[in-house]
Amino acid sequence: MTKLVEVDKIHEELAGIVGERFVSNRPEELFLYHWDFVTAEEPGKCDFVVMPEKTEEVRKIVELANREKIPVVPWISGINIGGVCIPREGGIVVDLRRMNRVLEVNEDDMYAVVEGGITWGDLKGYLLKNHPDLRAGITWSPPGTGVISAYICYGMLDLGMVGGTGAEFINGLEVVLPNGKVVRVGSCMASDYWYGRQPLPDLAGLFIGWEGTTGIITKAGIKLWPNLPRRDYIVLGKTVDAGISIFKKLAKAGLGIVDMCFLNYVWLTATQGVRDNEKIPSEPEKAGLPDFYGLVTVTGATDKELDAKEETLMKICSEQGEMAVRFGDAVGIYPENQIGEFLTYTSTPIQLYTVWDFTRGGGGEWTGGYVSSKHIVEMYYKMRQAAIRHGMRPQFYGRVMFGGHYWIGRMNISFNKNDSEETERARRCLMDIDEEARKVGSFIRYKPPPWAKARNFEKADPNSLEFMRKIKKLIDPNGIMNPGQGL
Amino acid sequence: MARPKEKELLDKIMGKYIPGRGVTEKVTIPDRVSLERYESLEYYKDQVYRCGKCGQCRYTYQNAYLARSCPSGELRKFESYYLGGRNLLLWGLTSGQLRWSDALAEILYHCTLCGNCTQQCQLEGIHTYALEWLSAAREKAVEEGYGPMPEQKRYTQSVLDENNPYIEKHDERLNWLGNKKAKLPKKADAVYFVGCTSAYRQKKIASSTFDVLSHLGKDFTVMQDEWCCGSPLIWTGQVEVAKKCAEHNIKEIEKTSAELVITSCSGCYRMLKEVYRDKFKIDYEFEVVHSPVYVMDLIKKGELTLEKPINKKVTYHDPCHIGRHMGIYEPPRELLQRIPGLELVEMFRNRHNAWCCGAGGGVKSSFKELASFAAQERLQEAMATGAEILSSACPFCYRNLSDAKEENKMDIQIMDVMELVQMSMKT
Repeated sequence: MTKLVEVDKIHEELAGIVGERFVSNRPEELFLYHWDFVTAEEPGKCDFVVMPEKTEEVRKIVELANREKIPVVPWISGINIGGVCIPREGGIVVDLRRMNRVLEVNEDDMYAVVEGGITWGDLKGYLLKNHPDLRAGITWSPPGTGVISAYICYGMLDLGMVGGTGAEFINGLEVVLPNGKVVRVGSCMASDYWYGRQPLPDLAGLFIGWEGTTGIITKAGIKLWPNLPRRDYIVLGKTVDAGISIFKKLAKAGLGIVDMCFLNYVWLTATQGVRDNEKIPSEPEKAGLPDFYGLVTVTGATDKELDAKEETLMKICSEQGEMAVRFGDAVGIYPENQIGEFLTYTSTPIQLYTVWDFTRGGGGEWTGGYVSSKHIVEMYYKMRQAAIRHGMRPQFYGRVMFGGHYWIGRMNISFNKNDSEETERARRCLMDIDEEARKVGSFIRYKPPPWAKARNFEKADPNSLEFMRKIKKLIDPNGIMNPGQGL
Repeated sequence: MARPKEKELLDKIMGKYIPGRGVTEKVTIPDRVSLERYESLEYYKDQVYRCGKCGQCRYTYQNAYLARSCPSGELRKFESYYLGGRNLLLWGLTSGQLRWSDALAEILYHCTLCGNCTQQCQLEGIHTYALEWLSAAREKAVEEGYGPMPEQKRYTQSVLDENNPYIEKHDERLNWLGNKKAKLPKKADAVYFVGCTSAYRQKKIASSTFDVLSHLGKDFTVMQDEWCCGSPLIWTGQVEVAKKCAEHNIKEIEKTSAELVITSCSGCYRMLKEVYRDKFKIDYEFEVVHSPVYVMDLIKKGELTLEKPINKKVTYHDPCHIGRHMGIYEPPRELLQRIPGLELVEMFRNRHNAWCCGAGGGVKSSFKELASFAAQERLQEAMATGAEILSSACPFCYRNLSDAKEENKMDIQIMDVMELVQMSMKT
């Protein structure tokens, strides 16, 4: 789209669909859609950004793009860490944030039907105001980021022990296909109810894990859960091995744990704002410091139920020679002027400043993925060594998923995004960390940038990969949907 | 305080409702970044890019996300109109990835500088200093020839010609005083700094304040040659003209030998109290106090009792310039609560979380749609409380809210706190 006449023509058509004020090709607007602003991934470039308000507008935009063979990139906040919505081949960014409504809450079947652009902040605020007895599974993401994008990219939720990845929390989808047709998958395909993806063929898989390369989701049914009283615990482990051993036992103890995640020492100190690298040993066990800081959340209808669960939890930890304390009692591990920061960890969505140390320069990217419980410890040490080799601080974060059926782990690197050399160093470091993680066998990168997606596919069964590509070609014959993402 | 039902909800959600801060678990801001205020964009360039564009700045009531905070972003929707977007545009600018343009200037000026976003962002540098670089960016826009906006140029010319932005005659500035004008003393213990909006538009605020001060029997005067305080100039990046106004006003105040300056307008208050000294480095000896704070102090000292009942339900709108910018939240509320019969009810977004009226930062003149949009939303929020009167302590908020009320035929009365005080005084 280099010819001015084409730009004007497309602009006019887009304005006809969404209204003049919701389409832009001003460089000052487009700049903000070229980046995944916290990562080390290279920026891209788009030609237009457009903000539709309803499915019919999305349908018309996609129809236009397909006719003109212009790339279309679905977008909500752009900070998914993997750069999966950086426009790699120009075209139209479809910013879905005007489609941020909760359309229905079914209290009996415990689900909500939401629009595709809803953010965590909007969803949480809506439920708190209108349905305080119900809650959604929320990622440890900032409030301005997208709900449905996280779900379809296998985001890990604060109910991860209950239901697994965000994908498991999807009951149904309404999707605009690359040819402009609107389809529904799940129970909503054959009824007015969005209670689940059974019993018809589960077509949701055509849109889950594809990072927006097969269609634009305009509505979704998502599972809600009772908002029960909770207790949070900090579980300390001298080493990551010890902590993970406890977590494996807790996962099988039938305690009704809804979430189990953990940080290593370096990530903990980053959230505490410790600046002096000399004070942050990358191998803390050698300095006699614990390296495992678990956060375990238990819910229960009554205090008695919670007391009983607590007793068992404490017993399991002490039998392993480690300890657990109620979350509030652990507040002393934080500097006094950051106690408020500590307290936010039990409230999702989180604010980005709590995740890593932004005053180092606003950059942070992780390499991470799903992994067998058998490999999580080995993966941690391999990733840590890779980071140390590059002189970066190895911040690690992991989670037990779906009752302990699988795990996730990721290593984060903080860097100064205004320093191109440091950003490049972070990029090389992340690639090495990724390579090390893959050596454990069961690791598969999630939310992968193109280079990591290529690595995922290197190990994929050729027939399966061919099958996948045929499906993509069938759905998107002109290759307009989020191209350049490595598929 | 929030309305009972909402307070109950907020308590249930967070267990921690802090008056003046809404729902917050973040009780302290880590003091890890210590910078000067009122500096140039260049000075802040190592802060702007630290923003992760996480969206926290778009919501009030942190961790509860119960309402939106940014009038500009909510109207225009594009990323560029929220704080996160503006931060990263300034990164683009200061790192050479973007160049100055009319469009960029329009984005940077399409903001009331209300500061609600910075209250919500808990990233230390941004929380404390984002308003500094948003203002500094406008100074840079002026320097580069992209600012101010055309309508702002028009009122600036009026300030240069007639010492007020309303294109009115300077010698008519005190017409609201009628024949009292001739009796104004040249020297007094206190100066009532009227401000352009009260002098030329919301004259009832000026006369009410004058009456209250007279009733108190205080030795005060109004300056014959008061000029615009400079607020509409400084927040549109026009430092030099604003500084000239400041120098003139300081000189005039000093001529009166006053030890106290009392303001009606929250914009004037911030200028006189802070900007003249901290930005323009002008030293002076007198104290500056906003009228409701002054009156409340006298009530506490027993020098004034409000006796005539006003049997009305009233809600209070926090002006950004005295609220978020200067930390005055409680005295106007306390004052209203001293009026017999008056029932004070709070809007959902109050104090630090208050939704801006939409007038400030040069917006009322240059972005009428934004000014009207913000005011309408505030009026609806006020009406939802069941209040019959929406009260404030700023004539510019009053003016914008009144305009939106008329435009949309909304059924709520708008009154300044000092008008209510005057009504309640024993005559």
